[in-house]
Amino acid sequence: MVTLNINGRNLSVEAANDSPLLWAIREQLQMTGTKFGCGAGLCGACTVHVNGEAVRSCQTAVGDVVGKKVTTIEGLSAKGDHPLQKAWVAEQVPQCGYCQSGQIMQAASLLAKNNNPTKEEIVAHMDGNLCRCMTYSRIQKAIMRAANEMRTAANSATERRAT
Amino acid sequence: MNSHVKMTELQSTDLSRRSFLVGAAASGLMLGYSAMPDALAATAPANFEPSVWYAIAPDGLVTVTCGKADMGQHVASTMAQIICEELGAKWSDMRVSLASNDPKFNDPVLGAQITGGSWSTMMNFDAMSRAGAAGRIALADAAAASMGVPASELAVRDSMISHAKSKKQMSFAEIVKSGKATKTFTPDELKAIKLKTPDQYTMIGFSVPQLDIPDKTRGAAKYGIDVMLPGMAYGAIVTPPVRYGATVKSVDDSAAKKVPGFIKAVTLDDKTATTTGWVVAVANTYQNARKAAEALKITYDGGPNAKLSSESLFAEAKRLQALPDSGEFFVKNGDTAAAFGTTAKVMEAEYTTNINIHAPMEPMNATAEFKGDILHIYTGNQFATRSGAIAAGAAGIDPKYVVMHQMWLGGGFGRRLDADMTVPAVQAAKAVGKPVKVIYSRENDMTMDFSRPLTYQKVKAGLDGDGKLIALNHDVVSAWPTQRWGIPDFLSPSVDKKGPLDAFTVNGADFFYTVPNHNVRAIKNEMAHNATPSGQLRSVAPGWTFWAVESMVDEIAHAVGKDPAQYRIEMLDGKGDNAGGAQRLRNTLLAAMGLAGYGTKELAKGEGMGVACVSSQERKTASWTACVAHVAVAPSGEVTVKKLTVATDVGTQVNPDGIQAQVSGAALWGLSLALYEKATLKDGGIEQTNFDSYTPLRMSQLPEVAVSVIANGEHATGVGEPAVTVIAPAIGNAVFNAVGARVRSLPITAEAVKAAMKA
Repeated sequence: MVTLNINGRNLSVEAANDSPLLWAIREQLQMTGTKFGCGAGLCGACTVHVNGEAVRSCQTAVGDVVGKKVTTIEGLSAKGDHPLQKAWVAEQVPQCGYCQSGQIMQAASLLAKNNNPTKEEIVAHMDGNLCRCMTYSRIQKAIMRAANEMRTAANSATERRAT
Repeated sequence: MNSHVKMTELQSTDLSRRSFLVGAAASGLMLGYSAMPDALAATAPANFEPSVWYAIAPDGLVTVTCGKADMGQHVASTMAQIICEELGAKWSDMRVSLASNDPKFNDPVLGAQITGGSWSTMMNFDAMSRAGAAGRIALADAAAASMGVPASELAVRDSMISHAKSKKQMSFAEIVKSGKATKTFTPDELKAIKLKTPDQYTMIGFSVPQLDIPDKTRGAAKYGIDVMLPGMAYGAIVTPPVRYGATVKSVDDSAAKKVPGFIKAVTLDDKTATTTGWVVAVANTYQNARKAAEALKITYDGGPNAKLSSESLFAEAKRLQALPDSGEFFVKNGDTAAAFGTTAKVMEAEYTTNINIHAPMEPMNATAEFKGDILHIYTGNQFATRSGAIAAGAAGIDPKYVVMHQMWLGGGFGRRLDADMTVPAVQAAKAVGKPVKVIYSRENDMTMDFSRPLTYQKVKAGLDGDGKLIALNHDVVSAWPTQRWGIPDFLSPSVDKKGPLDAFTVNGADFFYTVPNHNVRAIKNEMAHNATPSGQLRSVAPGWTFWAVESMVDEIAHAVGKDPAQYRIEMLDGKGDNAGGAQRLRNTLLAAMGLAGYGTKELAKGEGMGVACVSSQERKTASWTACVAHVAVAPSGEVTVKKLTVATDVGTQVNPDGIQAQVSGAALWGLSLALYEKATLKDGGIEQTNFDSYTPLRMSQLPEVAVSVIANGEHATGVGEPAVTVIAPAIGNAVFNAVGARVRSLPITAEAVKAAMKA
């Protein structure tokens, strides 16, 4: 038994230390928002955060995340209303939707550090995430929209402090 | 012509053997078709089947059951939108659910549950409109009775029925709760309902938010791979090195037995011949199943295809094309042999496309459970009617005992028309006496794809003294993906009466240009058909036929010194059978030219624009689509697409934003197939195994894409596929205009462009 901290909760999984985090999350904990796409770190469908960094959970061993904070799409926001999730709806990004958990998690790790990314920075950060429906331009627009919302929120927070 | 498309039925759905039900039940109001002889009998709650088009619950929520597979085209939402328009419900009250394989959910035109061909909207528009209208009428009648006013004075809007004079109103929820909505419709009454005219639309033509999207941003949408059943085991498959035809000689599971949780290795005995030489390792977790699969030592007999390669399939295609009596005629207009005797100039060219793999992001998977006499299959599938039968065949039971539980599809693109994933799930579940979820590795998924076949086309064109195209022989050699289904209705008679042909290998070659003498031969490459069982990949035949036609037309135009766009416009004169369609295609081409600024600006050195226009998918179901591609070609031959301008005439748009998404996605598929995707056969096996060797378009390769949709009030046509087919020829033609290099093989490589530049 290994205890993992996932989305703020300590959860026990029956998994060998060297087994992929992806399958522990999906099949044991039945949190299926994180997807299996390639098993080789080539597509990004399985992206989760470990201590805030985007990682491919199919290439991350369970033993390597013990004592660290794992966040999945289910834990990105309490009510599914992270600025990126709202932007994904506003821009009507998903088609089949299968890769989109990974896309959102990958994008969230960018915006956490840089809430004013250029298009080039977005492409560089997102290029490892495949979308077979080819929703790339809407993904870019949604990231820009979410970044804008986060900046606005940050600015108004600053203003409130100033007054 | 394809026999499965009956245009008369597109106008008026055949309801002769059905009654339309509107009945009250404890659970709410349900509306849909029933095959039961006594429609009223079916209104009793005890007899109520959940298999109807939509239900209205006492809380007023309207749940539409979608019989089409939703693979990202938002078809469930589209069906809901069409129903909602006539029903008069509030969009926020609409919900969707996915249908099982109950025949009641069969497509009203196709008579089966199959999703493809960009058919869904055009073939369900009428039926869903009438279903919605019938519900509105039934609700209004009930409201009229409750209010004591004439139904004709009622207005229905936003799930509310109101009477202006008396200021009385009732919500859908109140009416359903009252249990008074009980009107039934005979087929004739249903047909007689006067539907709204487009000027009355308040839903159709508006970009309402797609109902499936919010769940897909929270990881909450359930795909086949997400199915969890109590007591379930997991299966990982081991597939042979040969795509098709191998047999298992021996399985040594001694090492697998050391894997914790290992249950059993099952060698598939597939009487449906969908798979050959597969073994499934079953264990308590997927990880253990995968480990056990890797630990199995299996020996194979490679079978008859074990030495074949892409090169041998191309060589066989060329051999077949050269035989005078190969194949069957799909088009035979005029007398090409006589016409070639009179031509001033003859041009010949070969066009090829390589094997392409679907690779939807969700790898193939299925979960099977035997419960009493019933076999339950959980998977996202595009062809429940046939896939249920394949699963039954794998289980050795009658198809009527199979329930297909539809899931959201993590990409379809035609891949999930096939049922191979059900076979290991069924046979593993049977062997271990538990439900089993089988998940393909990406390597299984790619090497065992029912791929877009490798194609070889030879085109011979004859021109008169004025440079007019007067004779065209077009031979198309490929595996026959649709013949593989074994369903006669999906084959078409050949015009030379040599027997049925697979029109899904030649659709598009029956174009709308006026060419007085025109032959198209469909030639089956039996060797390829056996070695690489092919499937329907987004757009199917028009994805290769227009590559040949639209490249050749361009070559001819250049050879006679005419602008390629203008040359097309002259051939789209709308004469004879081409009337109507040709003009729509011409207008669409002109629209794309205008939007792209074709011919209006000086382009930089090494840059060029190229045009193409297509009537994909089928002649009878065409969406008129044109593209202007703007490319830059480096001295190395590397092609960069700067912009794709696509115009498409879809008649009527249900959800404009959804159409934008589909058309731009299709166009980018076209780009990906044109430049980035290539699979190869070697020693009978597909060489590419994952996204490092099979490389669909990524974000960094994204060009600017501008899509303009023409909605001129004609019947709604499909949008999921046509734009795929127009891109490759537009790019090829643009490359020629940029650097004078003609490429005739897909994908277009820098090496091929550079070689053609030197030539």
